[in-house]
Amino acid sequence: MGTEPNIRATSSTMWVRTSAPRSRTIRIRDVQHYFGEGEARKQALFNNNLDVYEGEIVIMTGPSGSGKTTLLTLIGTLRTVQEGSLRVLGRELAGASRDELVATRRDIGFIFQAHNLFGSLTAMQNVKMGMELFDFSPKEMKDRATTLLERLDLGKRLNYKPESLSGGQKQRVAIARGLAHGPRIVLADEPTAALDEKTGRTVVTLFQELAQQQGVTIVMVTHDSRILDVADRIVNMVDGEIRSDVVVQEAALICEFLQKLRAFEKLTPATLASIADKMQAEQHSAGDVITRQGEPGDKFYLIRSGEVDVVIDDGTRKRLVARLKDGDFFGETALLTGEPRNATITATKLSLLYSLGKEDFQAAISASASLREELQKVLFERQ
Amino acid sequence: MLRKTPLAWKNLTHEPRRMMIAVGGVGFAVLLMFIEMGFLNALLDSTVEVLRVMRGELVIVSQTKFAMAARERFDLQRAYQAQAIPGVEGVYPVYMETMGAILRRRDATPPPRGYPIRVFGFRPGDPLWKIPAVAERLSELRQPGVALLDEASRRQYGLSRRGSQLAKQDVELTGRRLRFAGTFYLGVDFTNDGNLIMTAENFAHYFPYRLRGSNPLNVVDLALVKLQPGADPLAVQRQLIERLPDDVRVETKEKFIESEKKFWRKSTPIGYIFFVGTVVGFVVGVIICYQIIYADISDHMREFATMKAMGYRTTYFFQLVLTQAACLSVFGFVPGCLAAAGVYWLIASITGLTMEMKLATTVEILAATLCMCSISGLLAVRKLLSADPAELF
Repeated sequence: MGTEPNIRATSSTMWVRTSAPRSRTIRIRDVQHYFGEGEARKQALFNNNLDVYEGEIVIMTGPSGSGKTTLLTLIGTLRTVQEGSLRVLGRELAGASRDELVATRRDIGFIFQAHNLFGSLTAMQNVKMGMELFDFSPKEMKDRATTLLERLDLGKRLNYKPESLSGGQKQRVAIARGLAHGPRIVLADEPTAALDEKTGRTVVTLFQELAQQQGVTIVMVTHDSRILDVADRIVNMVDGEIRSDVVVQEAALICEFLQKLRAFEKLTPATLASIADKMQAEQHSAGDVITRQGEPGDKFYLIRSGEVDVVIDDGTRKRLVARLKDGDFFGETALLTGEPRNATITATKLSLLYSLGKEDFQAAISASASLREELQKVLFERQ
Repeated sequence: MLRKTPLAWKNLTHEPRRMMIAVGGVGFAVLLMFIEMGFLNALLDSTVEVLRVMRGELVIVSQTKFAMAARERFDLQRAYQAQAIPGVEGVYPVYMETMGAILRRRDATPPPRGYPIRVFGFRPGDPLWKIPAVAERLSELRQPGVALLDEASRRQYGLSRRGSQLAKQDVELTGRRLRFAGTFYLGVDFTNDGNLIMTAENFAHYFPYRLRGSNPLNVVDLALVKLQPGADPLAVQRQLIERLPDDVRVETKEKFIESEKKFWRKSTPIGYIFFVGTVVGFVVGVIICYQIIYADISDHMREFATMKAMGYRTTYFFQLVLTQAACLSVFGFVPGCLAAAGVYWLIASITGLTMEMKLATTVEILAATLCMCSISGLLAVRKLLSADPAELF
């Protein structure tokens, strides 16, 4: 897999942020990671790039062994960055000293799949262990721990030891411990796996509040489909690569646009999502020529916002045949027929486009016979 | 530290069963060390016990006498010379025989073999002994062929020590008949199995060969110098050293006791043997304590890894383990110390050795226990430091 050109490796940087600019808390560039030595050395991460912003909830998915936990441990400073650059909260982790790593670590809240609570300590004391490294007064610690535990429906279990708590209760104590010191980043591994639907919901609602009200960045590895709705982004990893990095809201919008087209209306949401997934954002200023008549076509375009003019030069004069706006698409003809562009398309104002590469477009078409038929029909009708 | 959660304590006391095993293990090591040190002290104390029951602040011995057991003697004249020094109230010569003095029972058939016994001779006019029995039986001791027997003398002599039986026993010393006028308590040591006290006249009768061709009482093994009330021992000692010829040495009794102990501790393998024994106890303690701390750490690796992920540093873990070690040593020390007191009593009553639980030894062993547990802690902490938070995900 490593030798395959990684077309989408930079896709995350191409996604457009529609919300107000926020500061970047995690910045991953060209991170490679290897396990083992010498002959047994095996690459676990390939050219990973990712940016995560303040207040974002990122859900990482992917089959086991895909490298998502490795990436999580790298972000959490629990492993040494071997190649590439990884900045967390503005601090470069590659080549950082032990002290710098520990300092970074203290701004992070960890929630592990296993609760890892001390059997000898009460719920309250376990949560306090997460705060004692910081300058909280004893009263503050008690108050914070109590608030968090109450919030997680453990108000009546404050002084219980883990042996008298159920699995779900223990997991919630561990969650409270991970959040107690007010981390700026929370790294969670299957935080809701041991929880029932109701308490799982309580936990993710708490995550959402932390993200929205305090700008906490939350990166979560989960296979729990019940909580996918809280994700701002879903990062999918396969074989050590980030295969897709979807801003959920934006992806939904693109799918909506794509579905509005007659050609795509019969496609399942899954196919649409996979098409949306492969699209990359491009920004063009007024006057930029996007495609030029007579040149070979290599991309299919969807207009996210803005306006373009379609001009055909028939040899004698230039004729404005159409003015395309938000939600319109163009560029598919050349890809389907293999002929050069039949029109010149120019942005008339600052425009944001999503483009789909030729190969991905054709792959999507051939994957769906109905899509091809639809398109051919549409094209036939156009002529 | 006070407002922090006492994790070391909580982890240690969380499992009472393991805690009891830990306390038992450390206590056992403490007991071992106490026994070894107890034997060593008993050896050293019993060899000097006889000096403690003699009156006098200063001791005169032959210049060449390196230990009490050495047969280096000096001229009785020195005692008379010392008597003339200002501040001296009395000089009490002490005659002593060990290997040459064979005590044997005569009343059994076949006659049993004889065993060497230590015999002290003193001038009956000298208030030498602090032992009350000596003063009480003085008139009987003045009779020929009479001695006092140490109650602590070993069973090998086959002697009855009590009541009417004592005086009736038919025994001989160096081939001459001897009668016991009573008993006293001194205690045996590693070189002497029993003790007899008799007057100088009787002593001369039993050991006439001490000085070839002359009065056997003219050579003295040691002499105790009793000072006048208020006299400065060191000033008198200086005077004695100045006035007496170089063939004798004058020491304060305490100094003499110390050098006697030092001789046994440093110049014989015995001190070394018990030191090695103590070290073995220490090592056993280190191993037991290491096992306990290591097991506790092993059971909490994931939790410690989580703490590392939280940002707890190496120093915290060192503190944690050393605190646990300190708790273990104190908890183990108390029962170990109590058990040792019992064992001391038992050994003393069986062997007649002076087994005394000294404050200095107790403090030393407490320090050794702290040291022992700390070493174990430091060995075990490596395991804790290997906890890898990266493996938690």
